[in-house]
Amino acid sequence: MNSIGVILGITLMYSAPLVFAAMGGVISEKAGVINIGIEGMMTFGAFTGAATGYYLDNPWIGFLCAALAGGAISILHAVACVNFHANQTISGVALNLIGTGASLYLARILFDGATQTLPLKKKLPKLVSNADGTISLDSTAAIAFILVVLLWLYLYRTKGGLRLMAAGEHPEAVDSLGISVEKIRFCAVIASGILAGAGGAAMSLAVVSSFSQTVISGHGYIALAAVIFGRWNPASVALACLLFGFSQSLVVFLGNGTITIPSQVLAMLPYVVTIIVLIVMHGETRAPKASGVPYEK
Amino acid sequence: MKKTRLMATMIIIACIFAMGCSGKKKGDADSKNGDMKDDYNFGLVTGEGGVNDQGFNQLAWEGYKRLQDEFGYNVKYLESKQESDYGANLDKFADEGMNMIWTLGFTMKDITVNAAKMNPDLKYGNIDSVCEQIADNMVSVVFRAQESTFLTGYIAGRMTETNHVGFIGAMRSEVIDQFEYGFRAGVAYAAKETGKEIDVDIQYTESFTDTAKNKSISTLMYSNGVDIILPCGATLGSIEAAKEMNKYVIGIDMDQRHLAPNQMITVAMKNVDVAVYEITKELAEGTFEGGTEHSFGLAEGGVGIAPHSDNLVPGEVLKEVEEISDRIINGSILPPKDEEGFEAFLKTL
Amino acid sequence: MNMEKLIKIQLTNIILATVVGFILGGIVLVLTGYNPLEAYGALFSGIFSKPKYIAQVVIKSTPIILTGLSFLVAFKSGLFNMGAEGQYLTGSIVAAIVGSKLDFPGGIHFLAVVVSAVTASALLGAVIGILKTKWGVNEVISCIMFNWFLLYLNNYLITTPWLKKPNAEASYEIHETAWSLVAGKWKTTEKGIAALSGSGSPFAEMLLRTDLNYGIVIAVIVAVIIYILYKKTTTGYRLQSVGANINASRLSGIPVEKNIICAMALSAAISGLAGALTITGMMPHRLSQLRVHEGYGFSGIAVALIGANSPIGCIFSGLFYSMLEYGSSSIQSKTGAASEIMDLVIGTIIFFIAISSLFRIVLKKKKGESKHE
Repeated sequence: MNSIGVILGITLMYSAPLVFAAMGGVISEKAGVINIGIEGMMTFGAFTGAATGYYLDNPWIGFLCAALAGGAISILHAVACVNFHANQTISGVALNLIGTGASLYLARILFDGATQTLPLKKKLPKLVSNADGTISLDSTAAIAFILVVLLWLYLYRTKGGLRLMAAGEHPEAVDSLGISVEKIRFCAVIASGILAGAGGAAMSLAVVSSFSQTVISGHGYIALAAVIFGRWNPASVALACLLFGFSQSLVVFLGNGTITIPSQVLAMLPYVVTIIVLIVMHGETRAPKASGVPYEK
Repeated sequence: MKKTRLMATMIIIACIFAMGCSGKKKGDADSKNGDMKDDYNFGLVTGEGGVNDQGFNQLAWEGYKRLQDEFGYNVKYLESKQESDYGANLDKFADEGMNMIWTLGFTMKDITVNAAKMNPDLKYGNIDSVCEQIADNMVSVVFRAQESTFLTGYIAGRMTETNHVGFIGAMRSEVIDQFEYGFRAGVAYAAKETGKEIDVDIQYTESFTDTAKNKSISTLMYSNGVDIILPCGATLGSIEAAKEMNKYVIGIDMDQRHLAPNQMITVAMKNVDVAVYEITKELAEGTFEGGTEHSFGLAEGGVGIAPHSDNLVPGEVLKEVEEISDRIINGSILPPKDEEGFEAFLKTL
Repeated sequence: MNMEKLIKIQLTNIILATVVGFILGGIVLVLTGYNPLEAYGALFSGIFSKPKYIAQVVIKSTPIILTGLSFLVAFKSGLFNMGAEGQYLTGSIVAAIVGSKLDFPGGIHFLAVVVSAVTASALLGAVIGILKTKWGVNEVISCIMFNWFLLYLNNYLITTPWLKKPNAEASYEIHETAWSLVAGKWKTTEKGIAALSGSGSPFAEMLLRTDLNYGIVIAVIVAVIIYILYKKTTTGYRLQSVGANINASRLSGIPVEKNIICAMALSAAISGLAGALTITGMMPHRLSQLRVHEGYGFSGIAVALIGANSPIGCIFSGLFYSMLEYGSSSIQSKTGAASEIMDLVIGTIIFFIAISSLFRIVLKKKKGESKHE
């Protein structure tokens, strides 16, 4: 019984940062802009959150700054993809380099040559927890899942959301209604940057309490995979993130038991599970029709 | 349309400016020449962790910085981003007129031996490799880390209230084996002494960087009744778990007690800085002897538990730790460094 | 627009983007208190001041030219190969096994290593292709998953007694017969060292002090073959048409599924070749315990994009990329500025390549202004 609580806690801990970033991916792709720069935006958010949180001695301000920093850096992507009709992949790759490079460069300047920040005195609090670790819920995890609900409601139940999705499916139609596709896409990319930044901070301010070179290592790509896995639907994407978090917690759980599987083999588990689940689900994945296609009037 | 594009360009440039502006340079770079003496130039080629890895790369660099502060020698480092950088970095330093170059980690041993053969005028040093077939102008340094982890294992064995402690490894290697088996032997020794039966949970993360995994494993161990953990690899994760659940954790390599003053009971120190400092100084003093292996253990002050551990460790335990430490130094206790040694050690108890 | 003009525009864009990237990097350096001239001086003297440095750049460029080509091949068929990293590992794992476990005479051994490594990674690519066409598993996901899978497989294999070298966290070295080093055996003998270090010529120094190997020649040949494939053959045409318009290809009778699988296999094979050539061409000629991915896959994407998705362009962009990467450590050791500044510069360059329509607008505006005067 104890173990179930712990596994649940670990699953949520692993998934929360992924959910943030993946929701960012959903918004952006639904509006028609592929964002493979999520990794860079997450890193930049993780750094900014940890650095500002440390200097201002408040994790919540850090979290906010991280979201803003993610949004700020995503302006580059928005400008490139919306205003310059750039190849979205190229721009995304550039942002990955710029996001990581800027984080490490600034870290070295602000933290005396180190590529990591000093730990915060207080990190983001837990919503609920008990001493033996069987109940544990980060506040970021709660925010992440509220976000999923809100995003789902926004996309499928509001006019704005339907327009956003239309911009990613039939931009011409949106345009013919006199609504600016460019404006929608621009805002969507910024929103995705804000969420990716928050996702980074969910890692550096809640899971741990500092930024280091490897605190974000591949999380952005896993989030990207989750977006496709969940077929661009916020609820299924969140489930994909949970599945990934769950298989990570299984690795931890099985490694702790008496079964003697080499730990390297065990570590492969989440990746193998993902592929198997995808094969079993067996279906055509279809991206929003105009995703990746620059819209030119 | 054109206007928006122009605006957009302005925004981009402003962003990039802002990125640069947000930090002002603090102090001077470590490797500025200034008015330092430049009698001696020393280089350090780090592994993939980089010079701020909170581990032995950083310690080695601290040893260098002490040399710079005390004697004004020029010190520099190059970070390797992947294995194929080792050779190029070594070569670059050879060109920069270094007197001695240190490389860190057994993965760099072969390439260092090679470089030493090619540059007979230069001196080389490698940490964590044994001395077979090294060149005459090279030294190798090994740490008997099992001696310090034995002591921490003993402390853990004495302090555990649940009779259940844990060890979290990163990836199996000789160095990590020293940690694991030294620790387990220490726990076993304490169990024997106090007549208790103490379980040791052991789990490997297969990563030096996955802090979330370290944290998860620690959380699971603590909730299973473990009350003291010695973690390696991404130790920050374990420290976080210890803080959240208010359990004990033991530090490794570097003194990180400031991160968790109420949870980190002690640290199994590996004083790479001392080794680098002492041996490099020998070179400047003219007593350097190549082709040798330096083994640093408790006796040489190369490993040990953190000073002033009395904050959380009871005084009586520390007293006995001192006694055991003496017995390790005089050879009456031999902490094991691998599985084989561990099995043999258990039989002697 | 004719081809020549297109290439010319692309080239101008890349050059302008590079200039802008360096200028903005310089601004960041100034703002953070470093002298950009000094930093860039260190960068370029670290690359060009000795023949052996140039050799290092060339050596470093080999794997990323290949992973760049690998990305390009998939991209032309509308596939997004994020899995070069894992395919590279497949190649190096198989190369290390064949190179250390089997015995062949020199030359043939090298061929055996390369062929088996390429075959293995082509199979992995085919699996990714089949997963996509049969079960609708998006290649981006399967690639990312395989990257991690193979990282752990690599780390697992080197712990098995069969492959693990005693007292090392690595596999056995491959035999010298499989090396692709220039004068590999001779230059490590006492005689070779004496001859080379005695001569004093910078080229002898280059040979002695670098792992100069034939890999780059193979990479260039592969680039040329890919170029011809797409320019002159119907196979190339089919592969490309799947990427250009999948429905039109289906209507015109091109077997789409088969071409997707082939494209993915070819793409993966090239990345596998990169892995094999690193094992045969560079010290320490073995697999090591990997803490993180080595980043060849990601660099490959950047190389393909800077190279404007042209196979020949990849050669130059690969050299350019490895030049900046290699030189960046000189910046750090000579001026103290963090070497990450080069990541920013490279990122900025790629970014300005993405928005290169900006240059056209600016140029047009200039022209317009001069007309007014």
